[in-house]
Amino acid sequence: MNIQRIWMVWLLLLLSPALYAEIKNVSEGKAKILGDCALCQQGIEKAGYEKNISRVSWDKDSKIALITYDNKQTNLDAILKKIALAGYDNERFLAPDQAYAQLADCCQYERMVKTKVNSSAGADHHHLTMDNEPSMAGSQEEPLKDLLMAYYAVKDALVETDGQTAAEQAKNLLGEIKAVKMGQLPHEQHMIWMEVMNDINMEALRISETKDIEKQRNYFSALSENMYKVLKVGKPKEAIYYQHCPMAKGGKGANWLSPFATIKNPYYGAQMLSCGKTTETIQ
Amino acid sequence: MRFGYTRFTVTVYSVFIMFFVSITGYAQKVVRYDLYVKDTTVNFTGKPKRAIAVNGQIPMPTLTFTEGDTAEIYVHNELNEETALHWHGLFLPNQYDGVPYLTQMPIKPHTTHLYRFAIVQNGTHWYHSHSGLQEQIGMYGSMILNKKQEPDIPTVPVILSEWTDMNPKNVHRMLHNASDWFAIEKGSTQSYSEAIKQGYFKTKVANEFKRMTAMDVSDVYYDQFLINGKNESQLAQFKPGDKVRLRISNGGASTYFWLKYAGGKMTVTASDGNEVAPVEVDRLLIAVSETYDVVLSIPEVEPGAPSVAYEFLVTSEDRTKSASLYLGEGIRQLASPMPRLKYFEGMKMMNGMMKLNGNLDDMGMNMSLNQMDMNVVMYPEITGTAKEKGGKARTGIKKEDEDSMKMDHSSHNRYNSNAMSSITTLNYAMLKSTVETSLPADLPVKELRFVLTGNMNRYVWSMDNKVISETDKILIKKGEKVRMILYNNSMMRHPMHLHGHDFRVINGQGKYSPLKNVVDIMPMETDTLEFAATESGDWFFHCHILYHMMSGMGRIFSYENSPPNPEISNPKLAQRRLFADDRAFHFMAENDFATNGNDGEAMIQNTRWSLGTEWRLGYHDHHGYEVETHIGRYIGKMQWLMPFIGFDWRYRKINPDVQETNMFGQRSTKDKRSVLSVGVNYMLPMLVQAQAEVFTDGIFRFQLERMDIPVSPRLRMNLMVNTDKEYMAALKYIFTKNAGVTAHYDSDMGFGMGLTLNY
Repeated sequence: MNIQRIWMVWLLLLLSPALYAEIKNVSEGKAKILGDCALCQQGIEKAGYEKNISRVSWDKDSKIALITYDNKQTNLDAILKKIALAGYDNERFLAPDQAYAQLADCCQYERMVKTKVNSSAGADHHHLTMDNEPSMAGSQEEPLKDLLMAYYAVKDALVETDGQTAAEQAKNLLGEIKAVKMGQLPHEQHMIWMEVMNDINMEALRISETKDIEKQRNYFSALSENMYKVLKVGKPKEAIYYQHCPMAKGGKGANWLSPFATIKNPYYGAQMLSCGKTTETIQ
Repeated sequence: MRFGYTRFTVTVYSVFIMFFVSITGYAQKVVRYDLYVKDTTVNFTGKPKRAIAVNGQIPMPTLTFTEGDTAEIYVHNELNEETALHWHGLFLPNQYDGVPYLTQMPIKPHTTHLYRFAIVQNGTHWYHSHSGLQEQIGMYGSMILNKKQEPDIPTVPVILSEWTDMNPKNVHRMLHNASDWFAIEKGSTQSYSEAIKQGYFKTKVANEFKRMTAMDVSDVYYDQFLINGKNESQLAQFKPGDKVRLRISNGGASTYFWLKYAGGKMTVTASDGNEVAPVEVDRLLIAVSETYDVVLSIPEVEPGAPSVAYEFLVTSEDRTKSASLYLGEGIRQLASPMPRLKYFEGMKMMNGMMKLNGNLDDMGMNMSLNQMDMNVVMYPEITGTAKEKGGKARTGIKKEDEDSMKMDHSSHNRYNSNAMSSITTLNYAMLKSTVETSLPADLPVKELRFVLTGNMNRYVWSMDNKVISETDKILIKKGEKVRMILYNNSMMRHPMHLHGHDFRVINGQGKYSPLKNVVDIMPMETDTLEFAATESGDWFFHCHILYHMMSGMGRIFSYENSPPNPEISNPKLAQRRLFADDRAFHFMAENDFATNGNDGEAMIQNTRWSLGTEWRLGYHDHHGYEVETHIGRYIGKMQWLMPFIGFDWRYRKINPDVQETNMFGQRSTKDKRSVLSVGVNYMLPMLVQAQAEVFTDGIFRFQLERMDIPVSPRLRMNLMVNTDKEYMAALKYIFTKNAGVTAHYDSDMGFGMGLTLNY
């Protein structure tokens, strides 16, 4: 008993410097880091760890991390940047979308800041030019503009073969479907919209409910047909390209809408990105 | 001082900030700058190092003029060495172009030189030292030429650069001696152990069979990358919804930079000071010495959300490190970092393109204007992440898909990154001038063809296999249209820059072909450029990678019947000094202090000549002493062949009973010998050096030797065998740039271990 205790003391004496004396010039800091589960905890602590330089201990409930580091070698900013690059928003840095998207499902915490969608269609497309020309994208003039942008964002996610983002963007699309001001639509377009609205909604909903890319593409094909019906009777300010890939859906073929003439096929992603052709230009 | 990751301190001996702006009369505004060029000490990495600051700062101060001004720039050289400043992209009288020994004599230490010229253009330009390697250690700065009426948009000049703690002269020397220390620092050795681990053993063997050493997209390892002299900085004055124009110049000596923005797409509005129709891209690669104007918008945040700053991320082409500029205030949204390159995929691609004779074969792809980027095979964000052993891709494209892709319709798009991914990368075909640029059709045309050539192993860079000092000036006539067709048959990309003129890049935009003064040409690309010869004097046309230019990759365009340049009093002397750059010899030496003797070599080499001596010195007479000296000249473009004459001296005490004969039955006189020789070296596949040598005493020797087999990232193996029945095998582990340990077995001296020092 006694001998055992002495051993314990010795062990502690031996171990304690080994455990704690490794980081010199110690500074400590606290920071809020977002995450949801034990997997996140692992990820955060791993991203912030550097042998003999920094150590992070994160609490899942309070979202507060205690950061211990060598102030001659690094600083809080540098450590928090590494943690953000691993996918975790924190009080100083927001993770790149791509890093966030690659986190495990249980770790898909709610983002700290919702930034506006940066789809390649670029809602900002024409007010980025240098001349500061007045914005033409006003939803007043084109009541379906926002809807179309949200649709493009879903399409871009499918081009990327990113089911996670596709589902998120489809949720966004659901919001835009509800936000369409039917009263501002020209008569003919109004009628068609009433006809296909529910279908469009259903298809967007289905895409948002799964992360299975193949299912999403299937729904997307139907969604695209309905979007086309509505849009072809309008006169958009910017051309919409109606594009077709004969190989999609196991050879049955499928269509989609794009703001660009260049083909970026949402049905195959990187596999056959440039398969397809423009069959109609709506303008 | 601490800025994010980096400790950045600039200690300046003395700070001069003297800006005189004087206005004379109404008609013409003279804008005067005084530039004090002075030695300084900087600390970018924790170690104080020498640099050159102008008016106490790195980068040099931004010079701003308005079209129509007259520039008066007084350069006060307070260095103990010569200098000269070049105004990159400017149209000006030849004598103010700033190329030492070509358009002026260098500015002597502790003297002042005046550059005075009219500003006749507008756009984003920059300026830098054109003297020696000074550009590498701080002598670069933005030069902004405003229109009389600039668009109403907040504008920030941005100059990109790199820093190495190593003296640039040493960098240059190490490049010429095929040191792979930079590759070790970058983690891009591409050794056999890495090849086997990643399942690319065959690729590595094929690569060495084609006599290639490991390639990288850039040559030099840098400790730090800088945006306006800082690794991380913030422009907090911008608010959500703002648009900002960055006027970006790449002032790096040898680094191309990827530009990305966390707040969305970037709109490119000008290149090399010439406006282009706005084009939106996700990213662009800015070549060494290019400039781009890029408009970024700071996204609006939803009401109530915290404010966000967006990262403008600048990553070196080799993706080893990056620099960041945050636009806006608040919590910082990071851009996705550029994933590391898949080097072995690049090696595989290179194997496919390289013919056995060292020429490149584009397989009929007719590449130009950076549209097809062979390097996409190395970009994980386009072609999927690196595969683990067993050939299974972790994410991105699956193996089966990859195969089907090759057979499928995308074969012609295999290297077109814009077709292969949703990421839009800028290429030259996307640039369209905002004004017509066509030259009068009735001008006489002078057509010039150049092949860009190089030899990576010996770091020889040339055009048509000739360096500057080996060629005459190229005569052009005022009033001609000069058309240049450039083909890159070397394994590296080259940013080719023409002084004093803008050229049209023939890119399919017809009358609206963009005007530029730098064009990046990737391996196997062909680009056509044309310009109107409207000036007089001598204008440099060269690769803007500093170490390529210093190796002689360039030409001089000379207008016929130009008046003599008043800045050059002795043209003969000037030319000799100009040519000295690429004629310079580079020294290397290595010695292994081993238990069984000293083993080493020393060599000085230039573009064509090599003088080298090897020694094996035992510690006692039985082991013997031996020195071999060779003077040779490299022949041919690939420089595989080197005939030489030599001198061989050896002494060894051997047991008189032992008769040594070589494989041809000739009796060896190893114990005491002093002979002359002639011979020839030839580089065989697998980088095996074959050497045949005949000595004045009639003895013939044939030897095979393979040095520096990259076994693992830091382990090298040497093997040698010859007809004197001598053989040697050695393993060397590299610790630092100058030191390693070696274990070797030698038929003369037996087994030994030792410390190897090299310079």
